[in-house]
Amino acid sequence: MDATVKALFWCVCTLVVYLAARRLHRRFGRWWSSPMLVTWVVCGGLILLMHNSYRDYLSGTHWLVWLLGPATVAFAVPIHRHRDMVRRHWLLLGAGVVVGSALAIGSSWVFASWFELSPELRASLVPRSITTPLAMDASQRLGGVPELTAVFTALTGLFGAAIGETLLWLLPVRSRIARGALFGMGAHGAGVAKAGELGQEEGVIASLIMIFAGQFTLLLVALVTLF
Amino acid sequence: MNAGVLAKAAPLILRHPHRQFAQTGALIAFWWAAQMVTTALHLPIPGSLLGLMLLWLLLDRGVLPIGWFEQGADGLLNHLMLFFVPAMLALVDHPELLSLLGVKLVITVLLCTVIVMSGTACVVELGFRLSHGRNG
Repeated sequence: MDATVKALFWCVCTLVVYLAARRLHRRFGRWWSSPMLVTWVVCGGLILLMHNSYRDYLSGTHWLVWLLGPATVAFAVPIHRHRDMVRRHWLLLGAGVVVGSALAIGSSWVFASWFELSPELRASLVPRSITTPLAMDASQRLGGVPELTAVFTALTGLFGAAIGETLLWLLPVRSRIARGALFGMGAHGAGVAKAGELGQEEGVIASLIMIFAGQFTLLLVALVTLF
Repeated sequence: MNAGVLAKAAPLILRHPHRQFAQTGALIAFWWAAQMVTTALHLPIPGSLLGLMLLWLLLDRGVLPIGWFEQGADGLLNHLMLFFVPAMLALVDHPELLSLLGVKLVITVLLCTVIVMSGTACVVELGFRLSHGRNG
């Protein structure tokens, strides 16, 4: 197949599978029908079946990855929209972000060292609790593989959103803000969606925690790389 | 189709995506400018983060109206997963992870996620109860 045709095929294929997966998710609404998971599995299966390389696939879809940059800038809009919530709960939000980020970075580091993983894999695991575009940036700056970080981050989100309610049932957590913080810090985007199902305030708290945790982690990474 | 229905639907179909495209363009321009600044000044943060913090500041100070970016931002964030799925597919280039190594990675991710979620929720709950008790 001609390279241009291949690129065009993978571009159209990704968009069509994604749109179909969204419709599927609207119908079933379960974790396994997540458009992210479905698009990933279907496109991955097609790449392997057609004996194409990842390079072929990316030639048609790299512009989608490029849009992660502007999408990160777009996070300013939800923060501004919920500025009253930020003003009211800044101390609790800050505490959640600092403790959550420390736990996320520390626990990944300890387990990676314990399993004797390579420094590259360890750096790819460390930022996996924050939202994917920022996690990929952090991973690259720490000497990790951003693409693997995207996979670990997705796994974190899927698993976190799936077990969040069980954890809420086990833990003595009653306040809406702590329930939102659990999902936003632990399961980023997927968690925000799940928190939104519990209640509007939980959803807003989760999205704020997620965005602030991403910013905080990247500022930490900047400090580390400076020294 | 009835002409009245079309006339009612036209603004919804035409105007809405039109504005969303323009606003997405504005966000892309903002990100691009921030990217230029970080490269020129050798800042240790990515352009996307600088763009996010600058836009937040400008919206907060009332320099830029939120209406200029709102629809574009909602559109981009609504489709965020579409933008990182192509990156996740790099896994097809890493067959070495289909081994004990992959199992170790999955265990790490699962256990760490439980730790992060439990720890964060407990700290925020504790803070909430403390501030709640103090206030009344």
